[in-house]
Amino acid sequence: MSRRVLLHVGCPKTGTSYLQDVLFRNQATLREHDILYPAERFDAHFLAALDLMTLPWGGIETEAVGAWDHLAEQVRDWPGTSIVSHEIFARATPTQVERALASLGDAEVHLVLSARDLVRQVPAEWQENVKHRSHITYAAFLRTIRDPGRDSRIGSWFWAVQEVPDILERWGASLPPEQVHLVTLPPPGSDRGELWRRFSRTFGLDGLPLDLTAERENPSLGVPETSLLRTINERVTSIIAPPDYRPLVRETLAHQTLSRSVASARLGLSPDDHAWARELSRSWIDALAGRGYDVVGSLDDLLGPDPGTFTDPDSVPADELLPPALDAISALLVEGARLRAVEERLHEELREAREERDRALMTTTHRVKRKIVTTLEDSPAGRGTLDAYRRIKRRS
Amino acid sequence: MTAAGSTARAHGWVAHLRDGGTTPWLAWADDGGSAASVRALPGAQQLELLRRLNLAVASGAGRSGARGRDHARLADRVLTASAAGRGKADLPLLGLPASSFGPRPVDPAGVSAHELLRVASAVLADDLVELGADPVRRTWAKPWRRRFRLVGDPLVTTAAREHLLGRGRPEGGPRPFVVAVGAPLDVLLAHTWTQRCFEHGSRPWEDWLRFWRQRDQLPARVDLGDSVRRWNGRRPFVRVVTDLDQLPRHLGVRHLPEVRVPGADQAELARRIAAVVGLRAPASERPALMRTLQRRIPDSGVAPVGVPARERAWVASSAARMTRELTRAGYPVVGDLADLAPRSAPAAATGADDEQVLELAIRMIVDPAWRRTRATTREVER
Repeated sequence: MSRRVLLHVGCPKTGTSYLQDVLFRNQATLREHDILYPAERFDAHFLAALDLMTLPWGGIETEAVGAWDHLAEQVRDWPGTSIVSHEIFARATPTQVERALASLGDAEVHLVLSARDLVRQVPAEWQENVKHRSHITYAAFLRTIRDPGRDSRIGSWFWAVQEVPDILERWGASLPPEQVHLVTLPPPGSDRGELWRRFSRTFGLDGLPLDLTAERENPSLGVPETSLLRTINERVTSIIAPPDYRPLVRETLAHQTLSRSVASARLGLSPDDHAWARELSRSWIDALAGRGYDVVGSLDDLLGPDPGTFTDPDSVPADELLPPALDAISALLVEGARLRAVEERLHEELREAREERDRALMTTTHRVKRKIVTTLEDSPAGRGTLDAYRRIKRRS
Repeated sequence: MTAAGSTARAHGWVAHLRDGGTTPWLAWADDGGSAASVRALPGAQQLELLRRLNLAVASGAGRSGARGRDHARLADRVLTASAAGRGKADLPLLGLPASSFGPRPVDPAGVSAHELLRVASAVLADDLVELGADPVRRTWAKPWRRRFRLVGDPLVTTAAREHLLGRGRPEGGPRPFVVAVGAPLDVLLAHTWTQRCFEHGSRPWEDWLRFWRQRDQLPARVDLGDSVRRWNGRRPFVRVVTDLDQLPRHLGVRHLPEVRVPGADQAELARRIAAVVGLRAPASERPALMRTLQRRIPDSGVAPVGVPARERAWVASSAARMTRELTRAGYPVVGDLADLAPRSAPAAATGADDEQVLELAIRMIVDPAWRRTRATTREVER
């Protein structure tokens, strides 16, 4: 059997969390069909990406030591098809790409990039920044990414993981174009299963009995919710450390609470930004059309939807922020109560353990021994005697 | 020049740098001849760092450093090193056939010190991991000696703890004296951040200070009262020491080693290296590796970090609060709690600039003496 590697390198916000969750949960089924998705934990490929690209990531990177080499070794040892997937691989530099491809051995590498139109990606990326502690306004974010210099941290990261022709140049330079697969995201309003069908076809998963239940997604927020979160970040980013921010703000507030408001206005682009995104997308489509890649879907999908009603997240009135703010307070109070209960339970367990220990130690013999030890410990000579006794006891 | 010719010229420049050349990219006129390579061109950051390293070697900074094959190995390491962190991706060279996509090409000579440091810290982290941790000197424990638990000023306590371990006096044991080492609060904060840089890294100095000021809290190691309580220190078995001359006596020794206070550039470089070491070595090995770096990092003469003027009011009020808490707790004090008040004049420079840090990093890369020599501990009378 020939060895193949399907290397899915991005882009962020293109349904990757769902795909990776399906692959992770169905590893056993996939193996039965000679497909390896090597991941001992859900974020195994994320850690491999951090390792490959030397990316410290709020402390998580300490779990990534040797993760890329470990992943590559498993891929090399697998006789059939292997799948590697994480969206931040999109950011790899040419030197890192060279190292990554070399470490996969002599397998036939197929590069997969899933891409969505800029009209939807720009607001989604701003929202992602806000969910990762940023308090940059939407207007400032747009100014930053429209700056051709790309000098800022946000601008350089955005284009490194979203500029489809550049990502494909970096990752696909050494591959025949027919081994480069560009999966476009269907336009808004398409059948919900269409994206999965495109992924399934590209990764050779058609007909496999996979559990496709959505257990892990990266839900989006409405305009007032994102605006509120950004305002909260202004207050808390400098005083809440990343390990606390992740569970309290991103998980409890953003993912579990604010994302429930499905009736809120969705974030889009202003007419001017929309025209800019469309023009840029057209230039991408023109460039990609001549490269001979295998396009799963249609390059026209990358043009994006027509302009819709734009709600500016930088000027959401206070009365629209109030309902999500109250939801946020409720959620944090419930979380606070849960943590208090956990603390109470731990105190109780500690108290019980101490009582049990004290009961065990309350024998007369123990009290006499304790008295002797305490007396001896009060003088250097006594401490020396005790130490000598303990050494002799250890030897005997 | 054709696209192929430009690319060959760039590969020729890479070969020139690999050979120790120092010509800037824009002054490089050679068309490369047969230097074309199928390998990806390194980014402007890696290439410029290598050129700066070559300049340092040429100027004599690396007299004991790499030559010949060693230099080629160093060059390869620099050219393939990743720029650590979420900054700019590798930047293409100005003057090459430009793609319509990707980052804009740059003149490598104009790449900022900050960007060069991202590459240099990755190279130094690899050096450190390759070097491994220095062995810890320890001898037979002498349990009849006074037992202690050291808290407070992390620079002083780390050095003292290590010294005492080497003399058979490991920290802890039953009913130890809790010795809290104090200092003027601005110094204590600066020492704590500096020590963090040599452990597992930290936020930048000013961000770190702002974090605590906005929370109106003190870091765990700085809050002496809280540190004593954490170790269940009971009054007769606690000493709050603000007079460092008397510290050895309260630890049952006559002398303690001189405490080396790293400069702002050393701490900043260590902070950056620690972040990469976290990706290169298991978490359990990082403290020993970073302690090794702390012992061996070359001196540069740059002053330690200082508290900026805008934080001084908060530092002063925090010192007053800590003094009140310790007074109320009634712990025996060796020295004077008034010494906890910030004393230093507002620092003119609160930290190192990137150029100073880069200079130190370059010196450490081209002159591997710090990796060869064993660190020595000098003992001084206190």
